[in-house]
Amino acid sequence: MKLLEKPEQVPTTASEVGSRFVWDPRHAVKRPLRWLYPLLLYGLVALVLLVFLLPLGWMLLISLKTGQGSQTINLFQSFRPSWENYRALWQEVPVARYLLNTLIVSVGSTLLALLLGIPAGYGLARQPGSWANGLALALLGIRLFPPIALLLPFYLMMRDLRLLDSYTGLILLQSVFKITFVAWFMRGFFVGMPQVLEEAALVDGCSRWGAFWRVALPLSLPGVITVSLLGLIFSWNDFFSPLVLSGVRTRLLTLGILEAFSTYEVAWGRMSALGVIAVLPVLLLALGLQRYYVRGLTAGAVRE
Amino acid sequence: MGKLLKRWGLLTWTLPALAFLLAFALYPLGYALVISLFRYRLTDPTGSRAFVGLQNYLQALQDPQVLGSLGNTLLFVGVASGLELILGLGIAVLLDQRLPGMAWVRALLLTPMALAPVVAALVWRALYNPDFGLVSQLLRGLGIPLGRGLVGEAHTALWALIWVDIWQWTPLLAITLFAGLQSQPPELLQAAQLDGANGWQGFRYISLPLLRPVLTVALLLRAMELFKIFDSVFVITGGGPGRATEVLNYHIFKVGLTFFDVGYGAALSVLLMGIVSVFLALYGWVVGWGDRAP
Repeated sequence: MKLLEKPEQVPTTASEVGSRFVWDPRHAVKRPLRWLYPLLLYGLVALVLLVFLLPLGWMLLISLKTGQGSQTINLFQSFRPSWENYRALWQEVPVARYLLNTLIVSVGSTLLALLLGIPAGYGLARQPGSWANGLALALLGIRLFPPIALLLPFYLMMRDLRLLDSYTGLILLQSVFKITFVAWFMRGFFVGMPQVLEEAALVDGCSRWGAFWRVALPLSLPGVITVSLLGLIFSWNDFFSPLVLSGVRTRLLTLGILEAFSTYEVAWGRMSALGVIAVLPVLLLALGLQRYYVRGLTAGAVRE
Repeated sequence: MGKLLKRWGLLTWTLPALAFLLAFALYPLGYALVISLFRYRLTDPTGSRAFVGLQNYLQALQDPQVLGSLGNTLLFVGVASGLELILGLGIAVLLDQRLPGMAWVRALLLTPMALAPVVAALVWRALYNPDFGLVSQLLRGLGIPLGRGLVGEAHTALWALIWVDIWQWTPLLAITLFAGLQSQPPELLQAAQLDGANGWQGFRYISLPLLRPVLTVALLLRAMELFKIFDSVFVITGGGPGRATEVLNYHIFKVGLTFFDVGYGAALSVLLMGIVSVFLALYGWVVGWGDRAP
């Protein structure tokens, strides 16, 4: 099972693709009209991008408008970008507080998931046999279950432990969702990594733990970094766990945005600024990590 | 302990993680299974629980609200996953063209799916706003009667939510299927071309059949994700108007965590897990449980 290894195998730039044969509709056309095809294709690309990006562009533009202008329909009429909405928002909504809460919970749950998930992934990758495969797929199964099924009993459990509206409760819940992912992802990473160096370390008298700690783990650092960032993005985007478990003290960003949004529904500019604040960090992160990000989302869908 | 270590070998490395999951995933799920057999309401001041056996389940199967939300869920999952697959395939083929700049297009297409679903939902709530929303303005411009807006009318609200999901997740399918197309060995297609197949025939008889496993797995994964649909319903419509957009997830949330009828809510969530398990089993069957050793 090689689901997650070596993202490099998928060619991603035009020059890489150029070395192999790609299906090309231009072959289907009589010669005289050939020049039309790139034009047609670019037209389609433009349409696709318009559909998928316009809503966000619209939000960005409105967030930069102020005063009367933010309610008008014609976007470009007397458009003078200003940071007014952002500045005002920062003063009116405890954005910093939400950010801090989110940071605490996301870092805490990601660290916990790494601590438990990486050794699990290593064990699953290095132990041959059907037990390990079955266990790995069971972990994936937990990840695919609807969270609501877990949330209701989890809420009762946290209530009994007096952990509602606490960082601990939120960290525990988010860790559940992350651990299976970390183990599954790291397993794929370790499977794709040659074992020769670890074996050499074992022959030289290292224990299994030593071989893991000194050889396998340092080599898997790119995977660890990726999976950590994906874990942070998950927390940033998560809405369900704060909705159920957080309270006044531990409000996370997504819930805070939703509440502030309801307040600002009429104040278009403020509302859009809030949206942009929520989107930008994770968007930049995801763009930087695009291959891994997609890989994390589609774990199991494409094999090489 | 020593014996266990030897027998399980490196699998003992998974024990901490398994212990955690046992305590914070399997135990709560088992707890849900237990309380689903009780009449248990947190709003009841006496806090009494009465064992009622399968009565919660029987009630659920006759409850028109449950059946309605199940219908909405199935419609949502079926339509959204189907359309996302078809549109995604189209875009994947487009991305597969040898044109300069396509790498940029792929990166830009990532944007919607990087958004928090809540934020995506908020953006669309604004877009659908009957007074100012861009979508509403467009529809008005086209002379289409709006009424209370797309999400304000019972017969369009669910479709408006389905569109939000299509908007956010079609790029994922497109990029997955694109990766599938790219990993196909080019020789077969080349041979077909030498034999005189045109582009469409090459796609229809070579690429598409080769893509089928990826299509199946992507569709199943997407369907399972769609059963989790919650954020957009909560944020955009709150299940309304009426119950037009109430999906099973949202209904369970309402029953269990708003009305605090936790026994009944647990029974509903067990039923939902049962439905998703069918898809999970199907997925396991397709990817082959445990038979592909590393």
